Parts: sequence; C-alpha cells; structure tokens
Amino acid sequence: MSTLEQRLQRLPPSLRPLEHERKGSGRLWRVETVALLLVGLLLAIATVNDVVLGTHTNHRLVADLRTWRTYTGNNYKNVSTEQDIYHHTTTDVVCGNTVPGPPKERVQICLQMTGPVVRGHRAARGGWYLPANTEKNLRRYRYGCFGTTKAQGACPR
Amino acid sequence: MNVAAQSEPLPARTRASSATQWAPALAGACALLLLAATAEIVLDGAVGHSALIPKSPEIAGWLSGIGERLGFRIFLIAVLAFSAGYAGLIAAARGISKRWAITLIAALHAIVFVGPILLSTDVFSYIAYARMGVEHGLNPYTHGPVAIAHDPIYHYVGPDWKKVATAYGPIYTLISYPFGLLGVNGAIWGMKLLAMLSSAATLALTWRCARVRGIDPVRALLLVGANPLYVIYALGGAHNDLLMMALMMVAVALTFAGRDGSAAATVVAGALVKATVAALLPFMILARRSLAQVLAALAALALGAVVAYAVFGVDGVNIVAALNRDAAFVSTDSFPTEIAHLFGKPGVFPIDHDLLKAALVIIVLHLLWRTWRGYDWVAASGWALLAISVTSTWLLAWYILWPLPLAVIARDRRLLVATLAIQVLFVLHQTTPLWAPVK
Repeated sequence: MSTLEQRLQRLPPSLRPLEHERKGSGRLWRVETVALLLVGLLLAIATVNDVVLGTHTNHRLVADLRTWRTYTGNNYKNVSTEQDIYHHTTTDVVCGNTVPGPPKERVQICLQMTGPVVRGHRAARGGWYLPANTEKNLRRYRYGCFGTTKAQGACPR
Repeated sequence: MNVAAQSEPLPARTRASSATQWAPALAGACALLLLAATAEIVLDGAVGHSALIPKSPEIAGWLSGIGERLGFRIFLIAVLAFSAGYAGLIAAARGISKRWAITLIAALHAIVFVGPILLSTDVFSYIAYARMGVEHGLNPYTHGPVAIAHDPIYHYVGPDWKKVATAYGPIYTLISYPFGLLGVNGAIWGMKLLAMLSSAATLALTWRCARVRGIDPVRALLLVGANPLYVIYALGGAHNDLLMMALMMVAVALTFAGRDGSAAATVVAGALVKATVAALLPFMILARRSLAQVLAALAALALGAVVAYAVFGVDGVNIVAALNRDAAFVSTDSFPTEIAHLFGKPGVFPIDHDLLKAALVIIVLHLLWRTWRGYDWVAASGWALLAISVTSTWLLAWYILWPLPLAVIARDRRLLVATLAIQVLFVLHQTTPLWAPVK
C-alpha cells in the first residue's frame, strides 16, 4: 500500500475514495436522473420556442421584403431589414434605394411594417428617407417622415 | 410439459429471427441514405460559395458540374435524412459486421475529404495563423489575420475572426506551421488530411476502448464515425477538434492500459492543442490516484510552457486570457441564448455569463465528488465536456461532439442518451429556415 493510500485510509469512511461505486439504494441516481430530465425538458422547450420564434420572424421578414417591393415598385435584391428585438414588437423597418445603384449608396426609403401577415404582405403604416451613403438607420440621419412615423417623432425635424 | 408452456417462447423467437432478417436490409438502406445525403451536400457545396459554403479556393472544382449551389433547404433536408439514417443504423448495429461498418465510415470520410470546406471558415483561420508565423514572421498570439491582409489566405478568413489572435494551444499552432509553407491550396489539403487522420485515430481508439470495456465495438464505431455532426460539420470543416478528440482517446486508451503517467501527459498535450480537453485531467487523477499522473502532467505542462514561451513569448503561454475572451462570445445556437429568448430577453447579459460559470462549477464539483466515490471517471469527464458545451454561450456543432467518444464507452448510459439528445436539439434548432415560406 502506497503512502498516499495509507493516508487516505485514515479518512472517515464516508470521505474515503472508492475504486468502484457502492451498490446503494439508487437514490442519488434517481435524483440526478430527475434533474437531468428537468434540464432536458427546459432545453427542449427553449429550442422549440426558438424555432417557432425564428419561423415567425422569417415569415414576417419575407412578407416585409415583398411589401417593400410592392409599395416602392422596385424589385431590388439588396434591401435591408431591422427588427425591434428590444421591445419584442412585430414592428420591422425595411430600407432600400429609391433609384438603382449599389446598396445604400443612393437615397433610401424606409418603410415601417406592422401587424399580421395577410396574403404574404404586411401593412406599411409610415416611413422616412435616409441620405445616400448612410450605413445605419439612426434617428439623426432620417428626414421626410410620413404616415404614423411623423406623429411618433421618428425624424429629428 | 404442456402445450401452452411449449408454445410460449415461439412468438419471441419468431420476432427475434424476423428482426435479425430485417437488420441487414435496414442497415443497408440507412447506409445508402447516409452516403446519398453526404454526396448531395458535397456535390452541391462544390458548386461554390453560398450561405453555407465559405469562400474558398477551388479545391473541389472538378466536382462542380454535378450539383446546384447549396442552399439551406437542401442542406437541412440532407442533414435530417442523414440523422434518420444514423438512427436506423444504430438500431440495426447488432446485425452489422466489423468490415461493413469500417467500409461505410471510410466511404463517408472519402466523400467529405474530396469535397470543399463545409460550413465554417475556421480552417482558413488555422492556415492564416500558420502563415503569419512561417511566412511573415508574426506572432499569431499577438496579431489577428488582419496583420497579413495582403496574404492570399486573408480573403477567406471569416469576418468575425480577422482581428482576433489565435485562441488555440501552442502545440496546435506549431503543428500547423508546416502547413503554412504549402501555399493556400496545399495547406487546405494538409488540414483536411490532418482532420481525416485524427478522425481515423479517434475511431480506432474508440473501438479499442469499447472492447476493453466489453461494449459492442461496431456500435461504438458507428455511433461516433457515422454521426451527422461528426461527418458533415467536424470533418467537413476540417476542424482541429478532431485532433483534440484523438489525443483525448489516446489518453483514455493509455489509462485503460495502466500507463497513467503517459495518459496524463497526453491530456496535457491535448489541452495544448485545444484547452477544453483539460477537463479530463482532474477526473483521471481522482480515479487513479497515482502520483505518476500528477508528476507527468506537471512535467508535460512545464515542457509545453517552456516551448510556448520560447516560440511565442508570454502570450503563447497565457491561454487563459484567450479562453476568457472567447467565452464572452454569443452564438444564436447556444442553449443560454435560447433560454434567454424563452424568458423574453433579447439575449444573454454579463450576469448570465456569471450564472452559467457558477452552474458549471457546481456540476464539476458534483462530478469530482462522484468520481472520488467510485463513479466512472470516463463518464464524469464526458458529463463535464457536455456541461461545458451546454453552458457555453458560444456553441458550434463540433463542440457537442467532444463528449461523444467518451459517452459510447462510459459505464453510465445516461451520458450517451444526453449527448445524443443535445445533438438532436441542436439539429432541430438548425431547421428554422425549413419552416419559412419560400421567397
């Protein structure tokens, strides 16, 4: 028996290391299994919830892009979308060039979409313009607000 | 003996014989499904850059005329088909011969090997760090790939990683250095070969360890080698996690052979490739309680630190700083992010990182106590690796492969069930684009 093992033998029986697990009542195994099942259930619910959220979001985004193209009459590929991820509303903003050109290098028109998807489209209640070469849709760059966004004070002037 | 008693076992025997008859047919059909799904992903991926295929030099151009550009829908259907085939294959594993299983896994590896880099730009980061060291005389622990913006590999590095110094261990960085001398295409093929050889080593050692523990080695081999995340994500992306897993299995095999010192030194070597595998060491030491292990681990660590310091300076030794930096990253696929969404939060916050670290510490302490009391250290190590991936806010498919080889040889069957369940949830989460309307 090595020195280490001799020292370990001096520990109280409940603290001594074991070569193999004792065949006990299985209470610990049951507690662990219940905990694992509960964690698994939480992860499963969170995953399904995320898939549903993501699916709704995708559904909405497809409708938003379609609505922007219908309202503006421009069938551009490069149209940017922004979602209200902080307040969990379904209000999204879709921006794209008013005339053909590289993405964001022309004056952009932004439409604010709200409400449910009806026949593949959503309602555009208002919007604003952004100057050419504006990378981010920040309030300070916006002008010419129209529709509900005007009353909301979405534009600085 | 009465007639009723005599006739009772017959239905069971008939069922068993019918199952035995069906097993080879089911296994054959599942194997075809796996091969077809892999071929579909590789052939479509070879067409070129898409949302799933990173920008890459044309290493698989000769395959490009057959498929169509790989989109989410086809990819996810192929992954689901692969997963279904995998489940069927595991169910029929008892009827599968050793030669048949090895042939199937070799074929899957070969298909992925000849194809393009799938789903990740990580391999280009590995090559960029190697080229920084051998071609440009820069330290990859102090500079990101942006420092070699004029190098041809820079174009292929993922946008999130261009300014980030390497977080991989110094042994891995040194292993990758010779690849940096091979040119971009040569380095990619070299990395693919390294991933394939690492995978072969992992699988061979899983087989060996399963036999030592009296577990069906064919089933163990199929569980790891035909796993969809293993084949498509880890092997497809030529990830260095495969090298880490190979070293992990070398350490386990050495422990089973009673070579405790070598095993501990190998775990340290693995941790100097990718730090995660260090999780095995405390469980191994607690289970074996051998002074040789502690001394060998310390000696290997000291040697690794000296080499790292000599080649990379103090930044090459300070892996903890790099790990802390990476631990703050957040991916949409991580379970903490999903739970945050479930509770109406937009994502994880700094306090959540602290809570997750606390949860991980509690789990590891519990596992250490259990190992001290005789619980299987291989299972405890697997649980620790699984807990690391589940509590991480930066979760990628190949992270949930870490515990798999341990799970198939562990004495606690719950670990395998939990690992596969986590993988199922990960794949389920990937399927979101499938349910969106077609544009």
